[in-house]
Amino acid sequence: MSVFMEAAAAVVGTVAFSLLFGVPARFYPYCGLIGGAGWLVYGGLMNGMTAPSAALAATIVVIFLSRTFAVRERCPVTIFLISGIFPLVPGAGIYWTAYYIVTDDLALAVRTGFLACKVAVAIVLGIVFVFEMPQKFFTFAAKKQEEVDDR
Amino acid sequence: MENEKEQPGELTPEEQREVLEAAMQAGHILLENGAEIFRVEETMDRICCHYGIRSGNSFVLSNGIFTTSGNEREEIFAKVQHIPVSGTHLDRVAAVNQLSREIEKDFLSPGDVKHRLDQIRIMPGKPRTMQILASGVGSACFCYLFGGTLRDSLSAFGSGILLYVYVIFLSSPHLSKIVGNIGGGALVTFLCTVLYLLHFGENLNFMIIGSIMPLIPGVAFTNAIRDIADGDYISGSVRMLDALLVFFCIAMGVGMVFSLFHRLTGGVLL
Repeated sequence: MSVFMEAAAAVVGTVAFSLLFGVPARFYPYCGLIGGAGWLVYGGLMNGMTAPSAALAATIVVIFLSRTFAVRERCPVTIFLISGIFPLVPGAGIYWTAYYIVTDDLALAVRTGFLACKVAVAIVLGIVFVFEMPQKFFTFAAKKQEEVDDR
Repeated sequence: MENEKEQPGELTPEEQREVLEAAMQAGHILLENGAEIFRVEETMDRICCHYGIRSGNSFVLSNGIFTTSGNEREEIFAKVQHIPVSGTHLDRVAAVNQLSREIEKDFLSPGDVKHRLDQIRIMPGKPRTMQILASGVGSACFCYLFGGTLRDSLSAFGSGILLYVYVIFLSSPHLSKIVGNIGGGALVTFLCTVLYLLHFGENLNFMIIGSIMPLIPGVAFTNAIRDIADGDYISGSVRMLDALLVFFCIAMGVGMVFSLFHRLTGGVLL
C-alpha cells in the first residue's frame, strides 16, 4: 500500500514539475510514468543497497525509458529526461547538510554532504552510460519504419 | 550531403542571409529554453546544409552563438548573439525540433521558417496560476516521498504555493540569482517553521525538503552533465557552476533562517 502511494506521489510530483518546465501537455503521461518507475527502482533498492547504487540503477532506468519514449514520439529526449531525473537529484541531501552545519554537527554535515555528492556522481554515471548506447538500439520503439536520426 | 538535389540553384546573397538569420534564430530559441549545446549546433547545421549553404559554421556557448559563413562561392556573413540564461520552456524546444524535421522533409522557404520561428518564440507558457498550483502539488508529493505524513504534505502544499508566488512576482523579475535563491530557501524555511510551530505538520524537515524542490536546478544540472559528456566542456562547466551556485544559495537561505530560530528559541526547536 505504502509503496503504491509513494509511486503515485512520484507520478503526480513528476507531472507537476514537468508543467513547471513547460513540457507539452501530451507528454505528461510519459513523464509521470518515467518519474514513477525511477522512484520505484530507487525506493525498492534502498532497502538492500546504499543510496548511490540505488540512484545509479534508478537513473539507468529513467534514461533508458526517456530515450525509448523520445524515439517513439520523435521529440527531444530532454523533455522526458529532466522531469524524470528530478526525484533523484539529491535535494534532501543538500537540506540535511545545511541543517547539520547550522546545528554544529560537522561530522554529520560532512558525511551527508559527501553522500549527496556520491549520489550526484551516480546520476552522472547513469546518464553518461545510457547515452553511450547507440541510437540504433532504440529503433525498436519507433512508431513506423521511418529512419530515426535524432536523439 | 545529398540535400543538393532539391536545390533550385545557387542562393542569392539575400537568400543566404535569410537562411543564416533563420538558423541563428532557431539556435537562439533552443539555447534560451534549455536545450543541450550539441542539439543547438546540429539544428543550425542542418538548416544551413538543407538550404545549400556549405560554408556555414557555428560555435555555441552556454550564453552565446557565433556563426559565420563565406567561401569563394558564398557571400561572407558573420553574426554574434548574446543569449542570457533564462527560464526553461521545453515546449519551445520540442517545437523547434519538429520544425527542423519538417524543413528536412518538405520544402519550406526561408521566409516560412522565419515566420514559424517567430510564432514559436511568442508561444505562450503555462498560465501563472497553473504554475503556482503545480509548484504546490509538486512540493506536497515530494514531501510525502521523502517520508512526510499527509499533514506534512498539506503544509508543504501551502508553502510550495507561496514559494512560487514569490518566484514569479519577486525573485525572477527583480532579484539576482544569488539573492533570489537565498531568499527562496529562507522563505520556505520560515513558512515551514511557522506552520510547524502552529502544529500544522509533524516533521519540519520533510516539510522543508518537499517545499524547496521547486527551487532545485534540475535543468541546469542535467544539461551540464550532458554537455560535459558530449565534450562541450566550457558550456558544461558553466552550467554546472550555475547549478552548484543555486544549490549552495538554497542551503544558505535554509541555514540562515535555521540559525535565526535557533538563537530565538535557544535551540529548543531544532
